[in-house]
Amino acid sequence: MQLRRWRLTSQTLRTIEEINEKIKKGDAVVLTASEMKELVKAKGTQVAAKEVDVVTTGTFGAMCSSGAIINIGHADPPIKIDKAWINDVEACHPGAAVDLYIGATIMDPKRPFEYGGGHVIEDLIRGREVELRATSYGTDCYPRTQLETRIAKDDLNQFYLIDFRNGYQRYDCATNSRDETIYTYMGKLLPNYGNATFSGAGSLNPLCNDPDYETIGIGTRIFLGGGQGYIIGEGTQHEPTTGFGTLMVRGDCKKMSAEFIRGAAFTKYGTTLYVGIGVPIPILNEGLAKKTAIADDEIFTDVVDYGTPRRDRPKLRKASYEELKSGRIEVNGRTVKVSPLSSLRTAEKIASSLKKWIEESTFYLTSPVERLPRDTTVRPARQTSEIPFVESLTRPVVTCTEDETVEAVARRIIERSVNHIVVVDDSGLLRGIVTSWDITRAVANGVKGLREIITRRVVTTSPSEPVEVAARKLSQHNISALPVLDGKGKVLGIITAEDISKLIGR
Amino acid sequence: MARILLKFSEKQVYEPITSEVVIETKAPINILSANITPRGGEILAEVNAEDVDKVAATFRRRGVAVAVQRKIEVDRDRCIDCGACYSLCPVDAISFERDRTVAFDVEKCVACELCVDTCPTRAIHL
Repeated sequence: MQLRRWRLTSQTLRTIEEINEKIKKGDAVVLTASEMKELVKAKGTQVAAKEVDVVTTGTFGAMCSSGAIINIGHADPPIKIDKAWINDVEACHPGAAVDLYIGATIMDPKRPFEYGGGHVIEDLIRGREVELRATSYGTDCYPRTQLETRIAKDDLNQFYLIDFRNGYQRYDCATNSRDETIYTYMGKLLPNYGNATFSGAGSLNPLCNDPDYETIGIGTRIFLGGGQGYIIGEGTQHEPTTGFGTLMVRGDCKKMSAEFIRGAAFTKYGTTLYVGIGVPIPILNEGLAKKTAIADDEIFTDVVDYGTPRRDRPKLRKASYEELKSGRIEVNGRTVKVSPLSSLRTAEKIASSLKKWIEESTFYLTSPVERLPRDTTVRPARQTSEIPFVESLTRPVVTCTEDETVEAVARRIIERSVNHIVVVDDSGLLRGIVTSWDITRAVANGVKGLREIITRRVVTTSPSEPVEVAARKLSQHNISALPVLDGKGKVLGIITAEDISKLIGR
Repeated sequence: MARILLKFSEKQVYEPITSEVVIETKAPINILSANITPRGGEILAEVNAEDVDKVAATFRRRGVAVAVQRKIEVDRDRCIDCGACYSLCPVDAISFERDRTVAFDVEKCVACELCVDTCPTRAIHL
């Protein structure tokens, strides 16, 4: 029965060639992904599959693995560029004499976190002139050693966007367990799970609408940055097996618009490029009509603690894109606001623009020459040396409660021969810290109650923090131990300067 | 009337700072909203315009972070409607319209500046 149903849904209703014929005549029925979902809800998959030829998708997010290749032409006398800067942003020189790659994340050292490669690409697309500076060592055939000039996009032989990882199928939702604000590639995250951020367009995302990559692959023509571009393969870190597919794309920047390509800066993280991508999904069979009807409540992602600076960050829960787009989610028993980082309004606009192009017969579909792989996974980096983490140096902690006397704590310090006593409440949550020095001073001053001498603002660490980071905290605050806490503020142990110096001295 | 946003650290939550400031300045303070937890807190309050400088200075002397209301300005040509700023706003002055355009209610804004450095296109200024 199931097999019969599969045969039915995968039965070809129309080919790409037939769709292109209809586009030529202006007869193709095109819906945006949002409109398709409405139609399927109202009339069912069978009707939608019969009526609709193409569904258009869209996404507009920060895509760091983006950049542009430019060929500036030869100067006289010619130069074999060794190093080059555009508006003071260093360009990479990956090829022969005058080919440059402008990476979105390279920053102007004089304007860090404000202006970078992404902004250079945007400025050029806007038609602005940029300053080019290049140096070389000089050769017999390329004698020149210095070049300084101004260039605009029309001066360039080629100006192509070549992005090696774009359009993530879905992405993590980020939050922060630490007691300090952190600045990440997922934006600004407030302390103690104070907010969350997510990226991706959910049910509008290109790959989510064709999760088996039936119609997407090398050679698929797409909307790219306001112009027409192509998918040139799977993106780096493409991991279809866990629903994290990515795209590698190429497009002519000279035909793009700054509305859909935008330089951007993430404070204390770096610069990047917002890239607008729209992929047309031809409804070749009923199965594709069903897939393009996918809703936000069917796409799930993990809420992840970015407060843990490790490769495998703790996953706190799962959340659907419907919840994420609602603006509030529950994290650790508390409702917090969640920001999208990609523009859902622009994603919708991209899907509508692509729809319009097809309806006006200015955009034709292509069959991929090779579909995107569906079985690859991402491997972690091979490391030839290990980094020590706090976990490995954490020792059991000696604790007390706030109601104890100075005398009782003094006795414990002697009995257990430690210098730090961590003050906890009944459930083991951190309330403060007391050192042997605090106790000595209290005895000298005749203070009896512990409460008066507790240090409340305690610098802490977590098991997954690198020892190097913990050591930096110790020296920054001029202290000799850090309580080790879990994500909820519970005391797990303590790490001391003494133990760290033993490790380093080893 | 002027609005001030007060931010208390974890330690300051245990001290009667607001009452001390009222006693010292003799200025009436009308608390509009307060969110205090053992991990720190925030108070949004109204004070008479002529008292603002005095009250703000007195809180600051006690180590409290004070933001006196000014208005944020949004450069709509730069804004890409991503909404990265939305979750940073403590007073719900940033919201989404039906078509996912990001809307800024300048009247609600308390100029806490939390959103300013989160904008990827630097469209928000004070």
